[in-house]
Amino acid sequence: MLSRTEGIVLRSSVFGEADLIVTYLTTDYGLVKVFAKSPRKMKSRFGSSLEPFTYSKISFIGKEDANLPRLTQSDIITPFYALRDDYNSFVSLCEILELLMHFLPERDPNAGMFSLLHKLLSKIRPGEGNELYYLYCKVRFLGLAGYLPKLDACGRCSKQTLEGAGGRFYVSHGALICDACKTDGAAAITLSQSALRFYLSFMKWNFSNIDRVKAPAPLVSEIAGLIDAHIKYIMSRPLKTAAFNGGKGPLKR
Amino acid sequence: MSQGIIDELINNLTKLPGIGRKTAQRLAFYILSMPAEEARAMAAAIIDVKEKALFCSVCFNITDSDPCDICSSTTRDKGRVCVVEEPSNILAVERTRSFDGMYHVLLGALSPIDGITPDRLKINELVERVKAGGIQEVIMATNPNTKGEVTARYITEVLKPFGITISRIAYGLPIGSDIEFADEVTLTKALEGRREV
Ligand SMILES: [Zn+2]
Ligand SMILES: [Zn+2]
Repeated sequence: MLSRTEGIVLRSSVFGEADLIVTYLTTDYGLVKVFAKSPRKMKSRFGSSLEPFTYSKISFIGKEDANLPRLTQSDIITPFYALRDDYNSFVSLCEILELLMHFLPERDPNAGMFSLLHKLLSKIRPGEGNELYYLYCKVRFLGLAGYLPKLDACGRCSKQTLEGAGGRFYVSHGALICDACKTDGAAAITLSQSALRFYLSFMKWNFSNIDRVKAPAPLVSEIAGLIDAHIKYIMSRPLKTAAFNGGKGPLKR
Repeated sequence: MSQGIIDELINNLTKLPGIGRKTAQRLAFYILSMPAEEARAMAAAIIDVKEKALFCSVCFNITDSDPCDICSSTTRDKGRVCVVEEPSNILAVERTRSFDGMYHVLLGALSPIDGITPDRLKINELVERVKAGGIQEVIMATNPNTKGEVTARYITEVLKPFGITISRIAYGLPIGSDIEFADEVTLTKALEGRREV
């Protein structure tokens, strides 16, 4: 059966001599892995269309339940090549893609995730200064996958967080826990008042308005640190991409 | 004749890349018809490559003597080092006969999403070679795809402080491809058209 859809390349892995397995996030089928014959040969008709972030119209052929359909066509709509040419944006985006691939089941269309990823690729510019976009998308993806950290109320008694009271985030609960409910011994991250207030307001913004958010860098990195600890706990390991230091200076050696 | 031994050979041949069952059968019957001496030499070559092949401790090329023939050559230009991802890439560049310097094999390319970090590649070893002195130019001949580009950029940053010339092969190589599959002409042009980075 021939399937036609639009997709964004999340990952290309070498397979055999000159073939690739390409993981797409597609509009119609969600996460799809396809087999691409000989794209690494110089005269391949696939050209650069199988490189990460490329948004294209694709066709693949295979039985409904075949786990590896064969890619027959890929026509680039937007290459987003500037984002992979820049070390910084490349590494940061890889982190987002890794998160997506970890949480999204295969063949389960998710319009929200596709649209958010496409908006992210369209909006950001190569280089630094996109931290708020990455943070926003990470949190939104966690939410769509059902792993949103609970920061607006106590994870046990659901008592609303006092406006700007800060608190202690327990990674094993994925939630803030109030003083009355807290148990000793579990690992917790102290969250400052201002960081919590920033987070609760930040997540009410629309993606398209994020460039209007003014946030002091320390607050952003406080929240980013908490989100990364949360991700590490639910994945039972840090993101592989985390070893690249979030693209901040390539010289982590 | 027992069908078992020929089946055994066919099964083993299908493990090679690009060899399907049909081709394996054809090869197996060809081997069967070979003079015993030739077949023995072929089998010995396979065993030799497994038992004697090792990585050159200088450039990480596959070799049977350490350092490898290229590293121990007295006629090659020791001032220029061509950095490639895999040992097979050296063969591709050597085929062009347009480069007579040294090599450095990274044994892979950086890939955040696969967890291939700089310490998993032979990057520190390259830095040590440059530090030791005598190298004026490093030519980045990693593959013209995203992983290869990221790797080239990373190494360029790492080597910047040493004040040597760093160039990147560019001309003629389509993005998304692998230099192992480039013909000699394409690769020669790519080497000639390298630019400083
Ligand atoms: Zn409580
Ligand atoms: Zn060597």
